[in-house]
Amino acid sequence: MNGWMGRIVKFDLGRMTQETVAVGDSIRRQYLGGRGLGVKLYSDLCPGATDPLADDNALIFMTGPLTGTMMTSGRYQVISRSPLTGTICDSSSGGNFGAALKGAGIDGLIIQGRAAKPVYLSVHDGQVEAHDASAFWGLDTQQTQKGIQAETGSKTSVACIGPAGENRVIFAAIMNDKDRAAGRGGMGAIMGSKNLKAIAAGGSQPVAVSDPEGYKALAARLDRIVDKNPVTGKSLQVLGTSVLVNIINAHGMFPTENFRRGVFNDAEGTSGEKIAETLLQRQSSCYKCPIGCGRTTRTRDKNGEGPEYETVWAFGAHLGISDLTAITEANYACNELGLDTITMGSTIGCAMELSETGAWKESLRWGEAGKLRDWVMDTAYRRGIGAELALGSKRLAAKYGRPELAMQVKGMEIPAYDPRGAQGMALSYATSNRGGCHMRAFMIAPEILGHPVFLDRFSTAGKAELVALFQDVSALVDSAVLCRFLQFAVGISTFTEMLRVVTGWDFSDEELMTIGRRIYTLERLFNNRAGFGRGDDTLPPRFFNEEFQTGPSRHRLVQLEGMLDDYYAVRGWDSNGIPLPQTLADLGL
Amino acid sequence: MAYRCRKRWRTWGCNLAGKIAVKFYGLMRRRLQTAAVEIAGDDLTIMTLLRLAEDKTGQSFLDELLDKDKGLLTGTIILVNGENIRLGQGLQTRVKAGDSVALFSPAGGG
Repeated sequence: MNGWMGRIVKFDLGRMTQETVAVGDSIRRQYLGGRGLGVKLYSDLCPGATDPLADDNALIFMTGPLTGTMMTSGRYQVISRSPLTGTICDSSSGGNFGAALKGAGIDGLIIQGRAAKPVYLSVHDGQVEAHDASAFWGLDTQQTQKGIQAETGSKTSVACIGPAGENRVIFAAIMNDKDRAAGRGGMGAIMGSKNLKAIAAGGSQPVAVSDPEGYKALAARLDRIVDKNPVTGKSLQVLGTSVLVNIINAHGMFPTENFRRGVFNDAEGTSGEKIAETLLQRQSSCYKCPIGCGRTTRTRDKNGEGPEYETVWAFGAHLGISDLTAITEANYACNELGLDTITMGSTIGCAMELSETGAWKESLRWGEAGKLRDWVMDTAYRRGIGAELALGSKRLAAKYGRPELAMQVKGMEIPAYDPRGAQGMALSYATSNRGGCHMRAFMIAPEILGHPVFLDRFSTAGKAELVALFQDVSALVDSAVLCRFLQFAVGISTFTEMLRVVTGWDFSDEELMTIGRRIYTLERLFNNRAGFGRGDDTLPPRFFNEEFQTGPSRHRLVQLEGMLDDYYAVRGWDSNGIPLPQTLADLGL
Repeated sequence: MAYRCRKRWRTWGCNLAGKIAVKFYGLMRRRLQTAAVEIAGDDLTIMTLLRLAEDKTGQSFLDELLDKDKGLLTGTIILVNGENIRLGQGLQTRVKAGDSVALFSPAGGG
């Protein structure tokens, strides 16, 4: 089976049994792999509102047909119902782990049940084995990876949780290949609830391809295209993702102090340019990737990876903090403990505003960099005020009677682009299937960066169509599985070609877009069953009621309702956001 | 403008007393090893301003922003007081004394 290892394993940690799950070519063609196939398998196994942390919830690790190939992807997706949001969730991570799973002879792993004591799973030659992980329970993600590699071989790739996942913090991440994260949505808490500390994968089984000559030629062409493109060939390599700090700040939409302002006066000191001048040691790359956007950095006392743009913001401008060392070391702490940096930082910002208003008696002050790392540590261990921060912003703000101060959608904290500065991004946040996330439809590309075309960021015209289109493209990129940054250099027709040379599937571009739309709609159906509808496709009231008084996004508010009506019409959903029967029929759902 | 500048080159629309501020970001800043220059002038097109800025820095940088036909590269961002010139007259957009112009070569992230 070209592009696939031909084996998906379901492992029951309660019974310690495993079976091979048969997934036919027809299903793979309908959902590609990765996110799409994972969501399909999850929806079939857990169609209702399964408690995300219950034993019977499923947690799926899934690769795609392009994972482990020269199409620059070592990525994998983790799919389940999020304990943070209650929505369907997929969380994506780079590094090598996805390629390692395929090298070990499997395409995916479905985990159910709860182990009686801590275990880790090893995958090699298509076989999955459980091992005692008692010695690793309590260790951080770096110690865990090294410890398990000592048992399974130094070349194995390990995806694991740290103390935050063990303690079921609902925004705990899964970390692999040192510091790569399946960060958003609390997938690490689900691993913790199953007493599953880690998965180790290793092997050298090759991925068979349909058209070897075409495959080599396309890989060489892709390298040239990526190299020549100014974003993938220069900017991301030299300055990393934090090049966005100055760009977004210059547009007056760099969320500052819990989204109360759009210009952070100290943005320069936390910018990608500054990181390159000060902390950067070298670039780091995922499997077969010629871009190398990762940052290996060093502060005076510590070293690690990051910070990326969203993290620079979450621990920086969002908290009024300009100390780049403190930001970076808070990032390191999240990596070590296994926490999502966006939700962590956003929740601290919410807590600071709760504190300032007097709603919460704890004293957390804007700009207080000295305690940042302690707050992160306390959250992972649920001790002191960390027990409260571990709630995430939605539950924390509700507990203290000010739910409007949580900057979240469906329970997931929105990241580093103020929606008042980009109407399409506002619609993207509101309609995201996993909550306040920038990765479902990165409208910043056309509205700010001018990729692939430049759009007026304050206009609502045509945004509904484009958000839906971007969501569908993102769904298929996450299912193939590829890195989103390739989209700065190539488009749909290249993805179609990649799939053709690897799998032999001869999709048209239109058929590929239909697959993306099918995946997005399937996710929506799950969310509808879990109780989500139009009332949840919204934003915090701040974005409808409070204008910035200064900066280039001043006197702007989000105009959501009209875009939402248009969006549902484009999607073929009714006015409550429920897919119409004809839409489902058209998509084969 | 309603707010005061902490540093001249960080702000939008501060009074530069007959000068136009040109700020460099990203790869251009690394190449030029400078964050900003001030250009004496008024009612200039962006294209003219860019050439004057090249003269002032003593180095060429237009290849970071423009394609071989001297049009804006996909992804180039030029802001005049925070407004993208693509919404105005592009490289023919006119700037006046006191304006602040920010230059970003194509970038991505997220």
